[in-house]
Amino acid sequence: MFDYTFQWKQVLVRLPQMLDGAVVTMQVAVLSMIIGIALAVILTLLRLSGSRPLMAIATAWVEVARNTPALFQIYMAHFGVASFGIHFSPFVSLLIGITFNNAGYLAENFRGALKAIPDTQTRAGRSLGMSQLQAFRYIILPQMLRISFLPMTNQMVWAILMTSLGVTVGMNTDLYGVTQDLNALTFRTFELFAIAAVIFYVITKVITLSARLIAARLFRY
Amino acid sequence: MKSIALSAGIIAASCVAGVAQADKLDDIIGSGTLRCAVVLDFPPMGMRDENNEPIGFDVDYCNDLAAALGVEAEIVETPFPERIPALMSNRVDVGVASTSDTLERAKTVGFSIPYFAFEMAVTANDETGIASFEDMKGHTVGAVAGTYEAIALEEYVNEWGDGTFRPYQTQADVFLALSQGQLDATVSTSTVAQANVQSGKFDGISVVGKAPFDIDYVALFAKRDEYGLINYLDLFVNQQVRTGRYDELYEKWVGGDVPQLTVPNAYR
Repeated sequence: MFDYTFQWKQVLVRLPQMLDGAVVTMQVAVLSMIIGIALAVILTLLRLSGSRPLMAIATAWVEVARNTPALFQIYMAHFGVASFGIHFSPFVSLLIGITFNNAGYLAENFRGALKAIPDTQTRAGRSLGMSQLQAFRYIILPQMLRISFLPMTNQMVWAILMTSLGVTVGMNTDLYGVTQDLNALTFRTFELFAIAAVIFYVITKVITLSARLIAARLFRY
Repeated sequence: MKSIALSAGIIAASCVAGVAQADKLDDIIGSGTLRCAVVLDFPPMGMRDENNEPIGFDVDYCNDLAAALGVEAEIVETPFPERIPALMSNRVDVGVASTSDTLERAKTVGFSIPYFAFEMAVTANDETGIASFEDMKGHTVGAVAGTYEAIALEEYVNEWGDGTFRPYQTQADVFLALSQGQLDATVSTSTVAQANVQSGKFDGISVVGKAPFDIDYVALFAKRDEYGLINYLDLFVNQQVRTGRYDELYEKWVGGDVPQLTVPNAYR
């Protein structure tokens, strides 16, 4: 049984505040993806490096990022490192947490993509006089990014949804944080959350659809 | 024979009508259980003892209410942000959850007369040198998201135009952040401040003074249109004070001077 009278007018006046929150959510997600992809490429290189300590670092990162809750990773980025006297603002903590998670998952995506690229391609590059790094950069990397492009958009969607975990580290400027604050103020929980859900849905839908368009243009044979 | 059938019909009809007219108060008495939303992360109002059993002022208050109604009490642990969903989805009948009775919220839920009043205290990290509420200006301050003091403090920070406000999810997170130096000061109910400073779990913090906020009156809440229940709650709160039970519970959980629940020159 659920009886509740929806009062949309009460909350629609708050819509601009929520849209401002959505912008912050996008900022965090986009930044965390850009840095995350860069880190994931580095992690992938470390895994290919053949050096045991470097491989261990990369493997540890991927294992922790993929096998612990994102909530825990974000919480540790704020309260965990603070016990060593390093303080990050909620925005930065959230960004670090999500980026850490992104990099781990993306590195694993890249590894899968690498497996799909025949080893002979590197050897072909090497036989043309390229160094190992050049062969990776000019031959393997573009193909790797192409194969893992759609999984990357998955991660982007996940990054957007992960921003909602920022409330645990005191973030109140992103979409979910703004929604929580308004909820405390007005108690119009269901209207506010319904609106937040629609905004989240629209953002992720736009991203997946545009990613598909970009992919169709970028990766035509 | 005909009259028997008729009276049977009337009795049956009145039974059906009786069921249809039963309000929440009847439902509670009929079901034999009173389900209270209580926040168990808010000592000394709600917390858990060593055996993980709920204890605290709000827990006792719910038990008293159930005893008055002649039913069993069921404590439903409800974090601050989930009080309204818990009520609207009918998981609880009444909120005994230290809920500030703001006019904004009263558009959504029905409040009883106040059953408790909080004073707000400033707790600061010792290294910051903050010694009063005014000293908080320009610093990074925080409180538990969604509480009366968080809303008031954020307004102050915006008004000062200087410093940062951070809402955390639990009282424990606020005091952890304060102890780590991520927050310079916080405003909380004086009861919570004393409990946390004395717990010894958080180093380097102390209560430095009062916050100039209005007294935070908190009320029981139920669905807005359950007049029968809300009436009962009003009388119950009144009786708790009249019989001395309020003083008794206050002494048991808080100690010190019992706050007045009425506003001078006002009805409630």
